[in-house]
Amino acid sequence: MERALGIDIVCAPPNARDGGRAIRSILRILVCLTLACAAARADTLAQIVQRGSFVWGADQEGGGLYAFLDAVDPSQPRGCDVDLAQALARELTREFGRPIEARFAQGQWDKLPELLETGRIDLVLNGFEWMPERAQRMRSTIPYYVFELQLLVRADAGASGWDWLRTRPAKRVGVLGGSAAERYLAEHEPGLELVSYDGSTNAMGDVASGRLDATLQDLPIAIYYRRNFPSLEPAGELVGAGRYVIYVRRTDAALCDALDRAIRSLRADGTLEAIYTRYDCWNAAQLTSPLLELPRADVQDSRSGAGESSFLARHASTLLQAAGMTVLLSLASFPLAIALGILVALGRRYGPRWVSWPLGVYVEVLRGTPLMLQLFVLFYVLPNAGLRLDALLAAVLGLAINYSAYEAEIYRAGLQAVPPGQMEAALALGMSQRLALRRIVLPQAVRIVIPATTNDFIALFKDTSVCSVITVVELTKSYNIAAMNNPADVLPLAVLAGLLYLAMSYPLSLLSSRLEARLRR
Amino acid sequence: MSEVASARAAGQSPVIRVADLHKRHGELEVLRGITLEVQRGDVAVIIGPSGGGKSTFLRCLNGLERFDEGRVTIHGTTLLPQMERSLEARALREVRAHVGMVFQQFHLFPHMTVLENIVEAPIHVAHVPPEEARTRARTLLERVGLAAKAERRPGVLSGGEQQRVAIARALAMNPEVILFDEPTSSLDPRMTGEVLSVMSDLAQEGLTMLVVTHAMAFARKAAKHVHVFHEGRVVESGPPEQVLEDPRERVTREFLRLAWG
Ligand SMILES: Nc1ncnc2c1ncn2[C@@H]1O[C@H](COP(=O)(O)OP(=O)(O)OP(=O)(O)O)[C@@H](O)[C@H]1O
Ligand SMILES: [Mg+2]
Repeated sequence: MERALGIDIVCAPPNARDGGRAIRSILRILVCLTLACAAARADTLAQIVQRGSFVWGADQEGGGLYAFLDAVDPSQPRGCDVDLAQALARELTREFGRPIEARFAQGQWDKLPELLETGRIDLVLNGFEWMPERAQRMRSTIPYYVFELQLLVRADAGASGWDWLRTRPAKRVGVLGGSAAERYLAEHEPGLELVSYDGSTNAMGDVASGRLDATLQDLPIAIYYRRNFPSLEPAGELVGAGRYVIYVRRTDAALCDALDRAIRSLRADGTLEAIYTRYDCWNAAQLTSPLLELPRADVQDSRSGAGESSFLARHASTLLQAAGMTVLLSLASFPLAIALGILVALGRRYGPRWVSWPLGVYVEVLRGTPLMLQLFVLFYVLPNAGLRLDALLAAVLGLAINYSAYEAEIYRAGLQAVPPGQMEAALALGMSQRLALRRIVLPQAVRIVIPATTNDFIALFKDTSVCSVITVVELTKSYNIAAMNNPADVLPLAVLAGLLYLAMSYPLSLLSSRLEARLRR
Repeated sequence: MSEVASARAAGQSPVIRVADLHKRHGELEVLRGITLEVQRGDVAVIIGPSGGGKSTFLRCLNGLERFDEGRVTIHGTTLLPQMERSLEARALREVRAHVGMVFQQFHLFPHMTVLENIVEAPIHVAHVPPEEARTRARTLLERVGLAAKAERRPGVLSGGEQQRVAIARALAMNPEVILFDEPTSSLDPRMTGEVLSVMSDLAQEGLTMLVVTHAMAFARKAAKHVHVFHEGRVVESGPPEQVLEDPRERVTREFLRLAWG
């Protein structure tokens, strides 16, 4: 059954809908179960009042003025969202006559809706834009801020604005993954090369270093970070006005209404103005913009047309393409890792001290630090030293270098597992050490290490997902993007991505057990 | 000493000449001044209690082990304790080209067939044309009675068969002398017989051999000289009928009592 599905998905032309329908019907059951659980939860507002606090989720990484680490006291987040959360807490305290405080919870920005739905936080308050899809999945308050998008370019790029962006060759533009800016550009500016980042500052830094031509940011972000990137300047008119809202779970109507009342009251008494003036981004639109009203009735409960077109038609080709990137990353980096690993292992086992000792350090450092950190260093830190690698190259190198340490240890153990008598017998026959290694010791070591090496290949294959932190869109990242933009498809998407991984790794396992069986003869 | 003198007088030349060999492992002095010669065509047998330095001595002869004092001369090439790197490499190449070795644990290459084991060094070290090497390997396998096993892997052979392959492998390089380090010690009596009979044939054909063994019957029959090693010294040397039947040294008597025991 699973196998049949896997094949269906991999080979299906977009109009083959049976596989998709099968997945959907299984998953619909799961979705219903999940929703049932959510409904069974007691009313969140009552709980908040009772326990005297609400938990709001935000991301401090590249979190701009919304939420960031206090330089003096890093245990306390700061930012306009923090100020707003506290103001909301004060409003709720006044309304319900009991002390209610705002408790901050750190979460990855694009995963905040999941944290909300799984009950780990009570509300999402982190510069989240109102979008029909989100409003369908979660319940949205009225806007607390109206923003626009600002294009940022290098001052020396000679860029005049939007027209320049449309000239050839195609410009590379960085955006926050899942942000309003990403959607705006995808819709209105075809022909651009969009690069999706996890944090706004990384994108701005890459414009400054020349890896990107421009970045489109929410105006508050652009204003706030300008001083960190003096080489950047705003270009072109503001576009894509949107609203920041607070999201709560769909079932929390009471909480949503209470927050709406609190926001209205904060706007009326000037608290909002005071907060945003502090961060340099208060403007007249905050009181006059037509966007302050939500198109609530007609959208919040309507079902979008997304469900009507085939699930596979919408996602199969993007996910397949991303799976191709996963394969490319694996196939390009692992042979490199093996080659490096062999050299390091030989150096450690047979080299003089001044070779073997530094190689030992190499292995320990690479095994003792996370792959993600190594990728960050390759991609974001090396440019400061004048070495600018593009994302794919950095990803391949990072994986290869990281895995070379593991391979080296495996091969060293493999070399040690070949009985010393083999080398002595070869030397006694007149072979040089080099020839004896090549003809006698290495072939036996290879047989010993093959199981561990194929294991590592499968591990590396899955570790390629870490490369998304340096803007490489491989299968996991592609799933993330699709899931964020199509909240209703989250479960079938997860299954499809999982099946794609399996469809790629299972043949690998088969191949490796074949290889082992053959070498054991 | 008089033995050596008479050998020279008979016009023989030593293939192996060792003078005052010392070898230390840290504090432990494993060899304490070994002087010994083996003439062309002779079979010399080394016996002695465990830990006496017999294996270490053999391994010094083909450079598997370095030594601390003295000199080893094989077929005119001399190994010394301190040698310049490139000189040492050349000397080792020369020496190993003339010296074959057979180990107690066989050390056949498990990833190759029997035939490949035998032709490996002729093809890749001596650069004999592959076809020629294979033809000769089959002849050698016939000689040790294993012509039928050429395409097998060593792992499926009995211990005795493996050791005979190892002997064929050593012979394939046409060595001046073959060193045997307890070639039958890990074999049962029947397999020991197979191997010793091959070795006796080789002795008969005039191959120079230096054999560490506890097989007294073989020593008695095939050896020209027997040397007794004890605590890093040669305590007694002589023809087998004297050393084995009328030993002068207490160490030898004790060792023989246990060996025949
Ligand atoms: N690599 C080494 N490091 C330290 N000591 C060693 C090493 N190799 C051998 N020895 C010691 O040197 C001594 C002589 O060893 P060797 O193997 O030459 O004796 P042997 O006469 O061959 O004994 P056996 O009859 O048991 O094979 C032993 O005491 C042994 O423990
Ligand atoms: Mg020994």
